[in-house]
Amino acid sequence: MNFELLAQLTIAGIVLGSFYALLGVSFGLVYQTSKIFHLANAIPFAAGGYGAVWSAEVLHLPLFVALAFGLLMAVVFGLLILFLGYFPVMRRNGALLSLFLVSLGITVAFPNLLQIVFGTENIPLRTYNSEGELSSAFDNRVFSSGFLTITLIDVLKIIVSWVLIIAVVVFVKRTRSGRSITALRTNPTMATAVGIDRKRVYILVFALGSFLAGVAGLFVTAEFVASPVMALQWTIVGFIAVFFGGIGSLVGTAFGGLVLGLLSSLSSLYLPVNYSPIVVFASLFIILLIRPQGLFGKASV
Amino acid sequence: MEINKLGKRAAALAIALSLTGLAACSSSSDTTSEESAAETSAAETASEAASEDTATEAGGTCINEIFGPGGEAAGEGVTLNGGMLLAMTGAGSFFGDVMSKGAQLAADQIREAGGMDYQITIADHNNGDVPTALTEVKRMISQDDIRVLQTSYGAPSEAIAPLIAEAPVLTLNGGGSSPGQLSKDFLWQNRMVFAEDPAAGALAWIHQQYPDAKTLALIGTQENGVGVFQETAPNAWAKLTGGEVVVAEQHNVGDTDFKGIASKIKSAGADAILSVSFGDDLGYQVKAVREAGIEVPFMGIEFTGQAASIAGSTYDTFNFATDFYNTENPNPWNQCFVEAYQAKYGEDPEYYGSNYYEQVFIFWDLVKRVIAAGGDPTDPTQLQDALIADPNFKSVYGGSDTVVGEVTLDTNDHSISKPMGVFSVSNGTPVLEQEIRKVSPADDPNSALVQ
Repeated sequence: MNFELLAQLTIAGIVLGSFYALLGVSFGLVYQTSKIFHLANAIPFAAGGYGAVWSAEVLHLPLFVALAFGLLMAVVFGLLILFLGYFPVMRRNGALLSLFLVSLGITVAFPNLLQIVFGTENIPLRTYNSEGELSSAFDNRVFSSGFLTITLIDVLKIIVSWVLIIAVVVFVKRTRSGRSITALRTNPTMATAVGIDRKRVYILVFALGSFLAGVAGLFVTAEFVASPVMALQWTIVGFIAVFFGGIGSLVGTAFGGLVLGLLSSLSSLYLPVNYSPIVVFASLFIILLIRPQGLFGKASV
Repeated sequence: MEINKLGKRAAALAIALSLTGLAACSSSSDTTSEESAAETSAAETASEAASEDTATEAGGTCINEIFGPGGEAAGEGVTLNGGMLLAMTGAGSFFGDVMSKGAQLAADQIREAGGMDYQITIADHNNGDVPTALTEVKRMISQDDIRVLQTSYGAPSEAIAPLIAEAPVLTLNGGGSSPGQLSKDFLWQNRMVFAEDPAAGALAWIHQQYPDAKTLALIGTQENGVGVFQETAPNAWAKLTGGEVVVAEQHNVGDTDFKGIASKIKSAGADAILSVSFGDDLGYQVKAVREAGIEVPFMGIEFTGQAASIAGSTYDTFNFATDFYNTENPNPWNQCFVEAYQAKYGEDPEYYGSNYYEQVFIFWDLVKRVIAAGGDPTDPTQLQDALIADPNFKSVYGGSDTVVGEVTLDTNDHSISKPMGVFSVSNGTPVLEQEIRKVSPADDPNSALVQ
């Protein structure tokens, strides 16, 4: 056993798994509450990245304000999808399949819209320095200890992802608005009967989910670039995490994401890295056979 | 991206959204002649605003100086229907964008110079999807009556070979040239065979610069460059150094997380890395490898500004070997091309744009030859016969400040010979380190270094 490699792959797995967990909770909040297969969660992800890049270059905003602007854009675009895409279909009693098709259409169209507006090029996150020149906004420092390395963004991914996940879980469990989300998720008919405003709850979960997707988009943009197709592969990972970890459980989804990341990374200890997706999907298949509710899900849901 | 460009694009979006509604009500044809006319008009308007002379100089005069006068002998009055099979959407849309820009500029320049009217139909192969490519080529042949085709990517170009041979359609590929496309009737390459041709020179250069390097890590995909990954590189490395390949990892095209591969390379203690991956993947790889603390030489087979933007400053530790296009090349045709490209699109041309630009001029040259021989300049068979009779063409590659470059197509395997080099990267810009040449696998890899 190569323990150095094992340790490095474990670190990589925790980084990846934390990011998957964030994406899973983002997707899971919306899916578990509304049952909408919200593939268009890719849009707030990309809107976060492009919002930051655009505001830094065009509005000359400093880094942290640009990041905040990106998050605002993520929430705005998430709510636009809800108001302009899903609510009209719901008002006409559209089936979940109709809502999924709306989501699919938006997901396919949005990268093309980004290409029209911003071009096909990758755009790095840059801010204006004191001399009025655009320069790289983020210095991704590398921390080393012997064989092991980790970057600053990787550290931030782990910390920020779990802080936000815990905050969302506490919000859902401890606040009145959060409990209305749980009520609608577990028994929509009863929740509506006792006066919970379904539309208001949907707005809340879409805003929260889009915010988390926007944070993920900012990480990718800060580490690499914003690009028109930056979001879809990550969004897919998000809903794999939901089914892997547990439908109906945000905590299960989060840990499902973590396990998924570790599995993906550690599988390359013995197998070529291009087997990683096969390992992930084979594991998902086996889990769905043995525990259809997911690793940490509740059987009753 | 510049601030004014973003602003203009935001304005363009407003116009585009308005026009989308109108476009949806009109014909859904993919033929880009109308778009081209609109683009040309827009470009001309912009150019006129800047300088009334620019459009004329960019379009016609220099082309006539290099290619001779317009008129009937130059194809005036001849309409040649050309198709383009490109990645217009998805992860590879950047390639489709620059390739189509290069071809469209060439069509405009040739028309303005009194040559043929080259009508372009663009089809999207969805980032290399083979079934889509087959459907689109069938459609262009039957509905758009294309006589020539500019294709891209390896897998779709290999897949369409029977279709274009049967139709026939004279086809050039300046993107993903692969061994599987060689020696196919009506299919020609105007890019060196991806990875295969520059591999020996790339490894010989590493050996020359780092003589102590004995162990090699290989990274690649399961699409292009597989032969190099499996045979050419391991054999050449063993011949050069007596060493071996200690890591050989393939990944899926479009992957962005290479931390696992970087960890394995570090663990194996490889002395050098050769990647035959392409596109954005290379940028992610270089970044992951350097952030893992690996400082050994990293050689690739391609350079794109897209990958450089992903890797950031870590790309300055990257080398690559390819038939590289250089905007600074003083070759008169190249300078004419660069100026026209900048005037039309507001940016520098790059590698792929230049290849697809050149392809249209190859077609034009063939049209002129067929006219001179009294034949039908829209007949693909006659065009190919003219190519085989004389496979030499002017080029924006090579040459000097007074001489236009020249490339030669191989009439046996339909490949091309172009100047190649090993390059380093400085502040995101390639710098030539060493000229290299194509050698056969049986030859000494050191002979690939041009002395």
